[in-house]
Amino acid sequence: MTSSTPDPLPSGSTPGAFRPTRRTVSAVLGAGAVGTILSACGGGASGSSGSTPAGAKQGGDIVFLIDSLGDTWIPNNSAISSFQGNVWGHVTDKLVYVDGEGKVTPWLAEKWEQNANATEFTLHLKSGVTFSDGTALDAAAVVANLDYWAKGQADKGVNPIGLFPKTYLQASAADASTVVVEFSAPTLGFIPTLGYHGSILISPKTIALPAEGQADLSQVSGSGPFTVKSWKEGDEVVLVKRADYAWGPQALGKSDAAALDSITYKIVKESSLRTASLQSNQADAVFNATPQELDGLKEAGFEVATPRYLGFTHGYRLNTSVAPFDDVAVRQAFQHAIDRDEILSTVYTSDWKKAQSFIQSNVPEATDHSAEFTYDAATANSLLEQAGWVKGADGKRSKGGRPLSVTLFPNPYLVTSQAIDELVAQQLGKVGFTVDLQTFDVVTYGQRVSGNKTLSNYEVTRSFIDVGTVASILTSANKGEDWFGLGESDQTLNHLRDAVAGAVDEDTRRTSVDQLQQYVLEQGLFIPLEQIVQRIYANRSDLKGVTYNGVAYANYYAAHLEA
Amino acid sequence: MRGYAGFAARRVGQAVVVVLLAYVATFVVISVLPGDPVTNTLRNPENGFTEDEIARIVSYYGLDQPVVVQLWEALSRFVVGDLGVSLRSNRPVSQSIAEVLPSTLTLAGGALAVAIVLAAVVAAATQFLPRGAGQGVARSLPSLFLSVPNFVIGLVLIHVFALKLGLFRVIDPDSAWATAFAALALGIPVSAQLAEVLVAGLDHESRQEYASVARSRGLGRTRLLLRHLLRPSSLPVVTVLALTVGELLGGALITETIFGRAGIGSLVESSVTTQDLPVLQAVVSLAAVVFVVVNLLADLVYPLLDPRVRTPRTTTARPVEVSVA
Repeated sequence: MTSSTPDPLPSGSTPGAFRPTRRTVSAVLGAGAVGTILSACGGGASGSSGSTPAGAKQGGDIVFLIDSLGDTWIPNNSAISSFQGNVWGHVTDKLVYVDGEGKVTPWLAEKWEQNANATEFTLHLKSGVTFSDGTALDAAAVVANLDYWAKGQADKGVNPIGLFPKTYLQASAADASTVVVEFSAPTLGFIPTLGYHGSILISPKTIALPAEGQADLSQVSGSGPFTVKSWKEGDEVVLVKRADYAWGPQALGKSDAAALDSITYKIVKESSLRTASLQSNQADAVFNATPQELDGLKEAGFEVATPRYLGFTHGYRLNTSVAPFDDVAVRQAFQHAIDRDEILSTVYTSDWKKAQSFIQSNVPEATDHSAEFTYDAATANSLLEQAGWVKGADGKRSKGGRPLSVTLFPNPYLVTSQAIDELVAQQLGKVGFTVDLQTFDVVTYGQRVSGNKTLSNYEVTRSFIDVGTVASILTSANKGEDWFGLGESDQTLNHLRDAVAGAVDEDTRRTSVDQLQQYVLEQGLFIPLEQIVQRIYANRSDLKGVTYNGVAYANYYAAHLEA
Repeated sequence: MRGYAGFAARRVGQAVVVVLLAYVATFVVISVLPGDPVTNTLRNPENGFTEDEIARIVSYYGLDQPVVVQLWEALSRFVVGDLGVSLRSNRPVSQSIAEVLPSTLTLAGGALAVAIVLAAVVAAATQFLPRGAGQGVARSLPSLFLSVPNFVIGLVLIHVFALKLGLFRVIDPDSAWATAFAALALGIPVSAQLAEVLVAGLDHESRQEYASVARSRGLGRTRLLLRHLLRPSSLPVVTVLALTVGELLGGALITETIFGRAGIGSLVESSVTTQDLPVLQAVVSLAAVVFVVVNLLADLVYPLLDPRVRTPRTTTARPVEVSVA
């Protein structure tokens, strides 16, 4: 049966009953600081022992409140969702671990080699790893997963995973613990992509199930530190720890079973109710509090985390094939007319960072190009003036009877988007733009805005795990998305794109990525706003050791409750 | 007996037509809207699918077929009882519904009980409290109940009883206390209409000649109310009660969302936002069935309450004129 009766906590554990007392005691002792020191010491010690740090309590059940658990549990179709990624990270493992700085370290792939032109990779797997259904996680299982990620199962309505390299040719098992993967062109991003939230390893038995079986979370087996105890659609997912788990990622300094006994993901749609439940000790962690609620939570002693994912900064990509952005002066004026400091101070809290480029600053290849998009209304005005956009009596510019008008479409996937666009509209208005806002819900937005090549701009919120994917997205090469409507017309961009996509070593790629950032920003093709935080977490204060990976998901595997 | 069988057959025939029309109407409305859950998921900006990949998956679901073909396929499945597979969750629709139905039935049943009890209490208060302030308050209660939105009542109940007093936990919405408060939130607005109609009915009956006669003979207030006034006053209440079922289903959506209950309401909400056609069609058909059945029951109860309505044939014209005094 897919859904057992809701039984979020094992019998005998009533955290709600004793928690207030403990919290009061720790507050009296000022244990916040003590706890930090304890866990820091413990963390250091655990690096060698590979076990839960000293001072930590074994066991414990946490309740995590989330606004949705997405639509389906078919691993490929759901792993891209912002919601299910939280659960998948505990139920499944990956071949490599990518941390918040984009650093790639071994996990179930203990080591790997690549050929000189980065078209063939050999993965060496950790031995003794099993899925929770008993199947061995060997080379054959990894090959099955690589095929599943790259191709999906069109005959079952299962998608491939979005950002998997389109250059994938095939994978084969050289022996039980060695996998050889081949690509049609240099694919330097392959290894980091194995740490992407879509690249979750599931049992070949699960992959062989019909779609309805894959959509039933209780039939899905991963090799992760937790397994699914029960779940109910639209309601909750209860995970319990796997006692024989012994292959945690090196980077977390822990390889044995989790300290926590269970994690219950419970849907509470109302944001204020999630926060209030945390504050009244009815929950231990919450997802997606609003920026306005964060200061209050911090003052009340909760740990607030605003991890940034590796990816593009939040901003607009401008379509050069649609007026008025076919004029480079207009794009550059747009770039300089935006006061990003005002956006940060008005819409966000101090947890948010300024953009330095069109890629987030934690991406290893990111370089600081903020000089290209400083706020400078005078420059914006003179650029427009020189290009012949004349200010009328109402302060609005036009050229040859054509008004300088732009329509912005707030991105419904980002709660703060509308507030930011309203502010941007005012700022652009000051230098003579006429700005409209059109707000749509997710469904209509998907229909009218996403992928619509006739719109002059598109607001970007998007993660990626390796900078190599950027190249193919910007232009139309390799079925790329042609973000700026340039097709293959811009020789400089094409040259930089090819240099990034075809790079076979990290150093030359780094240089090319730097030049690419410079060019895209200086041409006003991408207008950065701020570094994006799409997943906001708040945890109870005695829950220590929570980690955030390169795609900004919280992981409670290495976490424990303070004794 | 022959007349009754004919009546019953006609009602069942009507019911089938209503359900089929509801099914087709849902299909048409959703098909007119742009988008579908499959393409919407595929076009999620975090995805990065090529148009080829999107087209392959869309064709698997048959969403690239003409609307008429899709409707025909859905209908031919539906008439043999196959509700299809959810486009959103990829699970059998019948399974999703079976999981959430008990929770909604409990909530709606509880709310109905709350509504009836509250309405009875308010009605009794209007009859027994002294004229003036006491009765004034009782008489104004229904309008108060009706004017406070369902979700406000729900949020207040949660904040006070769950978060402040700790009587139930937000994460455990199926516990007895949580269910009771959810039923209260849903039942309060519904009780208002029942109370209005019942009070009006009692007022009307107590002005009748037979009531004056009974009173002049020294019959006690309580006896008069229970023995003589209540039965005729209940007639319009039954009509309102039948209509209330629709309101309970609608209100359940909001109450379930606020109380975090996984029920039909939350299933509808997620299906509407993602345009999950098979689920919506199944739920709308289910609602149609419930509505038809409840109204049928109301018709059957009528003759028992009012001796004048003895033959089923006349029940199609229910005496509702007394409902608003």
